[in-house]
Parts: sequence; C-alpha cells; structure tokens
Amino acid sequence: MDFNTLIFLGFFAGTAVVYYALPKVLKPLFLLSASYCFYLYKPENARLVTLLISATVITWCSGLAIAASRKLWVRRLFLCIAALTCGGILFFYKYFNFFNSVLWGERATLLDLSAPLGLSYFTFQSLSYTLDIYQKKLRPEKNFLYYALFVSFFPCIFTGPIERAGHLLPQFHRPRRFSYQGVSGGAFRMLWGYVKKMVIADNLDVFISAVYGSANQMDGPMLAAASLLFSLRLYMDFSGACDIAIGSARVLGYDLLENFNAPFAATTFADLWRRWHMSLTGWFRDYIYFPLGGSRCAPARHYANLLLVFVVSGLWHGAAWGYLLWGLSCGLVQLIGRFTLPARQRIARHNLLYRSSLFQLWWQRSIVYILFSLCFIFFACALYGADTAVVYGGLLTGWADFFREPSLFAGTAAGLGLGGVTGLILLLLTPIILTVEGQGRVSDWIRRQNWALRWTLYYGLAAALLFFGAFGQSAFIYQQY
Amino acid sequence: MKRKKDSFGLRLARRLFLGTKILFKLALLLPIPIFMVAFSYKVDRSGLFQGDLAPRQVVDLLLEGKDVTNFEQMDERQIVRLYTQNLDPDNVPISMGVGSSRVLQVTREVADTDSFFNLGVTGADVRDVMTSYYLCVKEGKIPQVLIWSVDPWVLYGSEAALDSRADSELYNEFLQQVLGIDTGYEEPDQVELWKALADPAYFQGNMEYYFRNRQGALTDDSGQLIPFTEVQGDPCQQSATIKRSDGSVLYDVAFRSHTSDQILSDAIAQSETFNSLHMEGFTELGETECRAFDAFIRYAETQGTRVILLLTPFHPFLYDTLLSRAENYSGFFQVENWIRQYAEDTGTPLYGSYDPLILDGIKESDFYDGVHCTSEALEKFFPGIWQALEEAYKGITPHVLSLKNRTTAAERISW
Repeated sequence: MDFNTLIFLGFFAGTAVVYYALPKVLKPLFLLSASYCFYLYKPENARLVTLLISATVITWCSGLAIAASRKLWVRRLFLCIAALTCGGILFFYKYFNFFNSVLWGERATLLDLSAPLGLSYFTFQSLSYTLDIYQKKLRPEKNFLYYALFVSFFPCIFTGPIERAGHLLPQFHRPRRFSYQGVSGGAFRMLWGYVKKMVIADNLDVFISAVYGSANQMDGPMLAAASLLFSLRLYMDFSGACDIAIGSARVLGYDLLENFNAPFAATTFADLWRRWHMSLTGWFRDYIYFPLGGSRCAPARHYANLLLVFVVSGLWHGAAWGYLLWGLSCGLVQLIGRFTLPARQRIARHNLLYRSSLFQLWWQRSIVYILFSLCFIFFACALYGADTAVVYGGLLTGWADFFREPSLFAGTAAGLGLGGVTGLILLLLTPIILTVEGQGRVSDWIRRQNWALRWTLYYGLAAALLFFGAFGQSAFIYQQY
Repeated sequence: MKRKKDSFGLRLARRLFLGTKILFKLALLLPIPIFMVAFSYKVDRSGLFQGDLAPRQVVDLLLEGKDVTNFEQMDERQIVRLYTQNLDPDNVPISMGVGSSRVLQVTREVADTDSFFNLGVTGADVRDVMTSYYLCVKEGKIPQVLIWSVDPWVLYGSEAALDSRADSELYNEFLQQVLGIDTGYEEPDQVELWKALADPAYFQGNMEYYFRNRQGALTDDSGQLIPFTEVQGDPCQQSATIKRSDGSVLYDVAFRSHTSDQILSDAIAQSETFNSLHMEGFTELGETECRAFDAFIRYAETQGTRVILLLTPFHPFLYDTLLSRAENYSGFFQVENWIRQYAEDTGTPLYGSYDPLILDGIKESDFYDGVHCTSEALEKFFPGIWQALEEAYKGITPHVLSLKNRTTAAERISW
C-alpha cells in the first residue's frame, strides 16, 4: 500500500479509530495485524512475507540466546546467525545478480529476483536489535508480539526511518492514550509530507525526468538545472515520505526517529550528511564506522573508514555502479573537504566578502548544495537510466548560447515542465517549506502559531495539494530501497 | 501524595468536550472536500454524471429556449437522456412527442401548445420510443400527453427492426423494472462511478477544463471544439439543419426548397432502399411487439399520460411502389389496420395514415422526401392535442375505422 493513495488514507483512518477504541491489551496485536495487512496489500510482498517472518523470528530468538549466554562463542554464534539471516536475505535479493555479473560478466547466470518492498529497512532494524543486545546496550524483548511489531511497524516499514529497538520498543510497552495534540500534530505532519511529495517533488519530476530521459540532447544549462533540482526533488520526496511515516505514527501515539534536519541549511558537506537520512547514517556510524575505529585511529585508517561507509551507503541504495559511484563521490568530496579545510580557513580570514555573515552563510550553503547536487548526478542517472558520462560531459556545453539568449533556455525549460505551476511552486511554496523546517519540527512549530495563521496554513496546504498535487503518478523513491 | 481520581461525571464531561472539539475542527475542514465534490459534479469533464459535454451543451441551449446548430452531428439519444435529466421539474412540458425522424416535424404549432417538446430521434426503433418515455418517468418529469408517431417497424419482430444506436441496456432495464419481463438486466455498479467524485485527479482535470473553457469557445475533454451553438439570425434561413428549442427539426433551407421533381427523385431513391428503414422481410406482425405496444400504452396511462397515436404519411410514390410489392411488405400493410383496431378497442386517439391518398388535402408538395412530411401536412389531419383530448373525452374517434389504407397492388395509382 502506497502512502500517496486514497486507499492508504482510508486504511490509516480506520486503523487509528479502531486502535483507540480497543482495550489496552489488544492494541499491540491489532497494530501488528494492521502492519501485516499493510505489508501484504502489495501482491509482490505477499509472496515474500516469509522473509519478513524469518528475519523477525530468527533475530528475536538470537537476541534471547545472546542475552541468555555468558559464553562469548555462543554469543558470537547467534550474532552470526542473525547477521547471516538478515545479511543473507538482503544480499540474495538485492545484490546477488549485481555481484554475479561483476564477477562473471556476460557469462553470469542472472536469477529472476524481485526484492520485497522495505527489505533494506526491516533487515537493518532487526540486525541493529541483535547487535545492540550483543553490545549489551539493550535488553532482549521477551514478548514476541512487541518485537514483531517493532520489525514490521507499518508507518516505517517501506520508507523508514530505520528505527532502533531502544527507541521504539519501550513505547510499545507503555499504554498509548488518545492525545488531541498528538493526533492533530501528527495529522499536520502527514499533510506537510503529502504537500512535499505530491506538490513539489512530483511536479519537479516532470522536468527532471524529461531532461534526464533525453540527456544526450540536452545542453549544459538544462542539465545543470535538472541536476540542481534533483537534489531538491529527492529531499522533498524522501523527507515527505518520512513526514507521513512520522506523522502517522504520531497519530497512533508513537514517536519515530527524525530522518532529516534541514539539510540544505548546512554550511559544510559533512554537516549536510549529519542532517541527511539521519537514521541510516546513524546506523552506519554505530555499526560500521565506530567498530572500524571511526576517527580515533590513524588518519589514513580514518579516511578509509569514511570512504568505506559512503561506499556501503551507496550500495545500500541499490545494486548498481551508479549508486556505488555516488557513494564514492560523496566520500571523496568529504575527504577533500577535510584535506583542504586548513587552507580554506586561511583564505576565508582574508576574504572581504565573508565580513558579511549573511553572505558567508548563503555562499557556503550554495557551494554545499552544488557539490551535493554534482555528486547526486550518479544517483539521478541510476534512477532515470541516463548515461553518467553524457550528463557530466553535457554539463560543460551550451553555456555561451545560454548567456547570449537566456529566454530560449527559459522557453525550453517551461516546455519541459518547469513553467506555470511548477515555477510557482518553486518560487512560493518551496521557500516556505524550507524556512519552516529550519525552525525545527513542523508539528511543534505549527502549535506555536496563532489560530488564524494555523488555519490559513491548513487550508493553504490542503488547497495546494488539491489543486497542484500529482495524484496516482509515482511511488516514493526510497520505497524501492 | 496519591492524586484523587476524577469523578465519573468530570471524566464524561471532559470526553464530551474533547469529542465536540474534534468534531468542530473536522467540520472546519469539511468545506474542502465539499467544494471538491461539488465542483467535480458540476463541471464533470468526462460526462460521468452530467452526460457528455457536447450533448450537454445542446441541452443547455434548448432549455434556455434557444435553437441549436448542427443537428446532423448531434447524438440525439444522449440529448433525450440529458434533456429529461436536466429539465426543471416545475416546467415539464404538458406534451411530448416520441418516434423517429418522422415525428420531428411535430412542432409547438402542430401540437397546438407552447408546452411541448419533441423527444423523437432519427432511426428510432421501439426501444427508443419506450426508453424516451421511461426516462421521463425515471426522472419524475412525466408529460400529460404523449404524441407517439408510430412507425410501422415498431410492430416488426425482427432484428432488422432494431437500430444499433438505441440504448438496449436502458430498454432491458425498462422491460425488467417496469414491465416485469426478465431480461437478465443487472443494476450497474454505481460505486465505481461515484468514486470519481472523491478522486482529486478528476477534480484537477475538471479545474483545468473549467479554466480552459472560460475563455473562448467550448471544447470537449480531448480539446476538440464543440460544434453546437445558438442559431444566429432567422432560423428559417439557415444553411444547415437545426434543432428547434421545442425539439423539432428544421431542415436546411436548400432541402426545404426542393422542387417537386427533386422530392420525387428522393422518393424514388428511397423506395429502392426502403428495406434499410428496418423493413426487410416484414411480412407479418410481431406478436410480442403487439403485446409490448399495448403494455406500453397501458403503462403510460398508469403514469397519468394520455397517449395520442399519430400515423404520418409516406410519399404517394413510395407508398404506391410498396403496394406494387405488397407481398414483400405484407407486415407493413397490416400495421395500420391493427393499430386502427387497437385504437378503436381501447379508445386511444389516432390521427393520420401511412397512406397519403386517404388523407384529405395531402399533396406531393407536403413532403420533403419519401418518408418525411412537412409540419403543414401534419396540421391537415392532426388538430392538436386539445382538440384530440376533447374528442377522446367525448368518445369521438374520427378517422379511426372510417379510414382504410390501401393494402393491395390493385389499389395503386399509376405514376
């Protein structure tokens, strides 16, 4: 079931009403049933539901066994079982064909595999649970019902955030009572997410897919515009999905981890990555980067760790060279940033323009955004099936014509879908969204506003969704990972 | 110190307050979905609720009392459907006409009332006639008088008598729901249809369509220009056939100005292609059709509608040609006698004849072609609804059995 369908809204409203009407003891069971209904709604998931169940049962049992045993080899054995289960499922369904073709080239026999939705999310969640128990950060969950609900909780199973057992499981134990503030805040967060996804991301996608769809016929300015907008589109799409997930969980009385923290307000590349897809970067930090030594080791090792985390992060998104190169490029930009930091700081001290802090802020934000967008060209090419070399090569062409006759560019861009409504959205709605998100959590922000502004915003967002939302057109990008 | 538990009344009051607050906030949001649904229903670019856009445009103009251009391109059956749907229930015409294009010359003047609308459609078969009236009943807009121009093929029990344009689904509904004849008809699933009202994508399409059509000429869903507009200038001087505001048809000036030779030439041509008028192989009356004819008239009477039967004449040449092949059209020649007997037996007012020769004052110049006579010709034998009703009330049924149409080759005149 996709978040951006009426059937989901109906399902969710029904679930929420029944959930609050049920006695406390039945609520977890009902939520678990609802989560499985949500998951099984898609026929391709129904065929592979055993994977979800296996991952749940094996990691739960492993967790109990690890906690119960004092012997290191037993603990390691069960950790390996859990890791092999989750990693094996993930590897087989997501990476087998890719690595098979990398190793054997054209001689490789590719299997007809279609991964169930949410595979990367529920395997990471259940694996992190076992790892936390192994590292004695967490006590095992005795009640299988709660654990199964943690792994399959429907708001976050398809698009994240990747939850941590230590954060979510205790919430299942505490009784959830109806809270007007919680429900209204959650509903607003959902509306916010829908606007980001269906009004901004999907309308931008018309232009971006048109440009990337025929990248070899596009010149530099058009490719640059599409590439710069792709970062925005991806953010609106993914953070929109997370807003809906977090909002819907909030309506039910649960808090999910935040996944974004105004990433485009970052002034350094490293800062942007601390604000982007925080649940995944946190997962890699805790379970890969730190165990490898993190930054508390020799510089070379530290840089290698950093690079490795980014490469793995790229592969997490998809088994394709494009994603791998995207991860690598982000890691390299990060490393270059570290290498050049002292030199840049020295230059900055003599930069007269930096005396204006406002200029410095926006200059740095712009540079970070451009670097981020340049890296994401690999990602966009993998997503739209465009040739990376063509796009990067094309970026340098056609600028003379652009400066000679910018109106021609504007006309072509408008013809490709960047005019009219999309232009209006870019100029009016997007700055509002980004500004509000810079103030903190939107559900908290809206509560601080007076009645009139609040309701104006409710109506404005609903009207934007109704008039300009793209209904039934595309699924969320991060749903496929 | 342990907090004292709130009393039941206080808890109840708190819950009631919370419930009221939630309902109030939800009510504040209601205008958005209400606006969406109302707008989608009103604009309805795909014609899911209001009918297709082009016929809707025609009906809107007709209901405004305007004549409409481009009759030849109209989907007449849709127009009948939408006319009955959109007609103001407080302004239902007293009298309506049903039948094929042969009834389309019945105007307000012929009916002798301003409260008249002609529901006739080109090529109408028995299903069209019955469903046109059924639509009126379904919409609760029942006329007091129904002028039924009975075409001979109405009593012909063959596939050849049926027109592919007729709404067979609606006819099956009529037979099953009204006359109680099992046709295997199943109520269509309305849920899917009404889902469109809650579909924001349909709302957006309607919005786009609405703004597109606010400026300039009307277009349909695919952007094609809707060719139906109000008639400008003298209706009688139009170069194309128009639909009058009373539902009748006014042929283009060239067609109406045909010389007697041209009319005869048309009649000759039509006598050669007469079979195509649902008449091929019509050698005997259909038993079921005769029963359906009676059932329909009785049904109309139960709805408070008085039926007046009208037999509009064929061109003398065409009629005589049929007489020369009487054995091929024996069914056709039985129709008039059967209807006359039926009218006599049931006291149903009946005017006219298929045979032009037995009608006083009908000349060749009273025809546009072989099968369509003029309004002036109709006025020669049909006195209008008021006199017809009066005569029926008094039990006078003129021309019912006193007139007898020619049915044998021996009775034909030479041309």
